[in-house]
Amino acid sequence: MSDYDPLLTVESVSKRYGDERVLNDVSFTMDRGDVTVMMGPSGSGKSTLLRCVNRLTEVDSGEIRLGDHRVTDPGIDVDALRRDVGMVFQDINLFTHLTALKNVTLGLREVRGFSTDDAREAATEQLERVGLGDQLDSYPGELSGGQKQRVGIARALAMEPELLLFDEPTSALDPELVGEVTAVMADLAAGGMTMLVVTHEKGFAREAATDALFLDAGSIAERGPPAQLFENPENERTAEFLDRVSTVSGEP
Amino acid sequence: MLPGTGVVGAVAVGSLELSIRTIAQLGSDTCGSLPPDVAFVCENAGYLAGGLVLTIALTIASLLVGLVAGFPAGAIEVYGGRYASLAVEAVGTVFRGTPIVVILIFAYFVVPITDWFPIQRVLPVGGAFVAAVVGLGLRSAAYQSQLFRGTLQSVDEGQMEAARAVGLSKLGAIRHVIVPQALRRSVPGFQNEFTIVLKDTSVAIAIGLAELFTRSQDLFVQRTTAVTEVILLISAVYFVMTFGTNRALEYLNDYYAIPGEST
Repeated sequence: MSDYDPLLTVESVSKRYGDERVLNDVSFTMDRGDVTVMMGPSGSGKSTLLRCVNRLTEVDSGEIRLGDHRVTDPGIDVDALRRDVGMVFQDINLFTHLTALKNVTLGLREVRGFSTDDAREAATEQLERVGLGDQLDSYPGELSGGQKQRVGIARALAMEPELLLFDEPTSALDPELVGEVTAVMADLAAGGMTMLVVTHEKGFAREAATDALFLDAGSIAERGPPAQLFENPENERTAEFLDRVSTVSGEP
Repeated sequence: MLPGTGVVGAVAVGSLELSIRTIAQLGSDTCGSLPPDVAFVCENAGYLAGGLVLTIALTIASLLVGLVAGFPAGAIEVYGGRYASLAVEAVGTVFRGTPIVVILIFAYFVVPITDWFPIQRVLPVGGAFVAAVVGLGLRSAAYQSQLFRGTLQSVDEGQMEAARAVGLSKLGAIRHVIVPQALRRSVPGFQNEFTIVLKDTSVAIAIGLAELFTRSQDLFVQRTTAVTEVILLISAVYFVMTFGTNRALEYLNDYYAIPGEST
């Protein structure tokens, strides 16, 4: 047991907003290279949990550790933690006044201290990796939703994070654009990136995830390999929810 | 807002003065053939032009004071601590709630403004000019702070989150992400402020500063039959200036617009 050294440890994390319990004693771990998808109904605490991992939200109690970072320790250098955790947002949040390239170089230059040339080179490489080598000088307003989200992924990747967080990365996209984003994500997963993904894309989960969590009312109701969770959910709420998601996405 | 605004202003004022002197010289030779009241205005065109130079200098200086004091004030109201933003808000409320003529008289006759801001020692300007710049400038700062407060707040919260998630500090995020977007959105509001300050320079008549409006009054008091001609002329001059700068700022707004975004 003493040899077991997970990358991410979430231990008895609880969080409430006013009277509402958003997270209730949540615990799980992730190893390097794990791809964990989190599913669950709206308001089940998925996004809150994700945001606790990079301290965009503070926990009320419990502990989170990421590598050497004691995430929930109030005294830590939050900027240093965030250098090691990338985040991809539901509403994408590209810097609207900057080109695709500069969206990626900003962090490289200002946070990682790259020179202009080095940042440009590294950013170009990341944008090529997500298939946008020909859109370096486009502004977010000139890109499609799927292209924007791929820039968002490149921006997070460029910081060479140990863990990438995805907060419903495709739910703001038109259905026909979802595929290009999940394809990039599956590619990253295959390349060994550690990813914690809030999504309802069962196709992506089946193909790329090592692990699926089902959150219900702030607690982990069920956890297991995606195939097992989808085919034979043990929990009644899980079954019900997955059924509804399938009806919407038209997937069997 | 733009680097070099001061230099451009100085050059513009200088070349304006030169061309006005030439016009005035030509004018006084040819004014004789005009109707008497028009001829009177024509002969004194050089005198009015001197006032115009002062009006332009006063406008530019006041707007710069307003920008330099107003932008940080707006930023403090958005990002500052509770007490800092309360203090800034209180000062702003006083300046916005006081008539500009009262502010100018206060600045010139009540407080020893030229001791506090001894600009007259480094630049060839008088005490009334210093008082007018401070009064108009601080009043403009009080309004510009609200302009910048609004545009800073208008930047989506997700922009700050995304910047912080990349690892930028709060200050870094403000500087590299929030401010560049907020400044672009401030140009239309700044257009209004420019127009207001330019027109309100005429209030400096209350402290006897020899700007365009004060000089026009000198003229129509001297020759009361020419009041229509004088007032029509300076109205046209004010209009051309506000119209011209508004068009220039519209161009600036289009130039700095973010591609793909509706403005």
